[in-house]
Amino acid sequence: MKTFIKVTEVWIPDKERTQLEFGSGLYGGLTDFKVDSEQQKFSYNEGLPGKAWAAGHPIVLAKFEHSYFKRIAAAKNAGLTCGIAIPIFSGDFLMAVVVFLCGDDEDHAGAIEVWCNNPVLDKSLAVMDGYYGTLQYFEAVSRQISVPKGQGLAGLAWESGMPVLIDDISKADTFIRAGDAQQAGITMGIGIPVADNPGQPYIMTFLSAKATPIAKRIQIWIPDREGKQLICQQGYSKSSNELAKIFETMTVTKGIGALGRVWLTGMPVITGNQESDYSPELDSLSSMLAIPVIEKGRLKAIVSFLF
Amino acid sequence: MLNVLLIESDLHNTLLENSLKDTDYQCLKIEYSPAILALIKDVTPDVLIFNLDTPSKKLLADLKTLNDQSPLPVIMFANDTTTDTINQVIKADISAFIVDGLQGNRINTIINVAIARFKHQQALKHALEEACVKLEDRKQIDRAKAILIKTQNFTEDEAYHTLRKLAMDRNITLGEMAKNVVAMSELFK
Repeated sequence: MKTFIKVTEVWIPDKERTQLEFGSGLYGGLTDFKVDSEQQKFSYNEGLPGKAWAAGHPIVLAKFEHSYFKRIAAAKNAGLTCGIAIPIFSGDFLMAVVVFLCGDDEDHAGAIEVWCNNPVLDKSLAVMDGYYGTLQYFEAVSRQISVPKGQGLAGLAWESGMPVLIDDISKADTFIRAGDAQQAGITMGIGIPVADNPGQPYIMTFLSAKATPIAKRIQIWIPDREGKQLICQQGYSKSSNELAKIFETMTVTKGIGALGRVWLTGMPVITGNQESDYSPELDSLSSMLAIPVIEKGRLKAIVSFLF
Repeated sequence: MLNVLLIESDLHNTLLENSLKDTDYQCLKIEYSPAILALIKDVTPDVLIFNLDTPSKKLLADLKTLNDQSPLPVIMFANDTTTDTINQVIKADISAFIVDGLQGNRINTIINVAIARFKHQQALKHALEEACVKLEDRKQIDRAKAILIKTQNFTEDEAYHTLRKLAMDRNITLGEMAKNVVAMSELFK
């Protein structure tokens, strides 16, 4: 299956917390790029992860050529042309930077957007930046609209401060661009609040098309009422996955398992391995990225992308 | 008519070649070369016969590769009686190893015994492979059941039936489904 995202990386602060070093990554068959990446370190404001750290919000680098991206040659060889970096903060302090890298091959539909506003002047959100693959028309429409709090995918995530997943998005009344999404073949969307700063909202939206999905399955895990365990609030994939549903009925204890570690540490994790010999022909799930949603230093949710 | 590839260290030795032709075998005689595997692939013989003083390590390694990729009945005439050589020949799964026993009139019996032994070895090998797969499946199924019991509070029966239903829904074997369950739990580990 072709996927919208080619590479997923987690960059974490080193011992002195003055540089970012390689934490983990999913590279598919891009072994050379992986080897090159594992050696890298990024200072504050250096390279894509360092720029996101310094900016304090997600950034999209639409073209690597002639940019501050540090791995331009390796990325070119691997067919990677653009990147999205999402810094995970707890208050002022950086926990990690998640980087998605995409290519520019044909039939490469989908969108990853960053929404924000000027909190003094604006009461609605607009696209600050985004990557849309081959969806030029959808991009043009998206860059012209703004969404008030509580409306649209980004507005709902802003209002609730929680991740919001809408399946069959092209038919959803709550999704302002439903008609355009339908034309673009977009079937599902998830909005995630990403900056731990109540005064300045930043919302990431991931819009997934059937042919090149963002992930094979996306889940939202939230703490239960007592805050003692995580439960799966929602799970979505384009085709039914009974096995995944079984695992979504389990509860997660802080510190136990991959999701429990995300809760304990506030750090995103990557598990599994795309290069393993584990039956891809069964369209099974072989790796996971779990991102914490943190507000005022507390975990509000974990979003897991299963690939 | 069986197609025999005869590999001689001395091409002037015609005893085996003549015996094979007299016994109605289709025989191609060649001198041993390091590129023997490629040649065997081209000729596709039914039986391989080597007549050598002593088999080299390279040859034994090649025969091991051959046995792994496309096994054939292999008969080896040699003069080397050292234990080390015998052990390596056995490891290379050679069907018949005859030391100092080159007699043309026995060749038909030797070939027939070697073919029978080869078939028996192959049957045992397949049975062993099947048993290993079943054992591995059993291990995976037990692991998957344990995961379902632990994460879902299932009884052993419930875990087994859930596993079986998942496998049936996907039209795959229980072992394959168990691997999926194990792999999925690894993601959350």
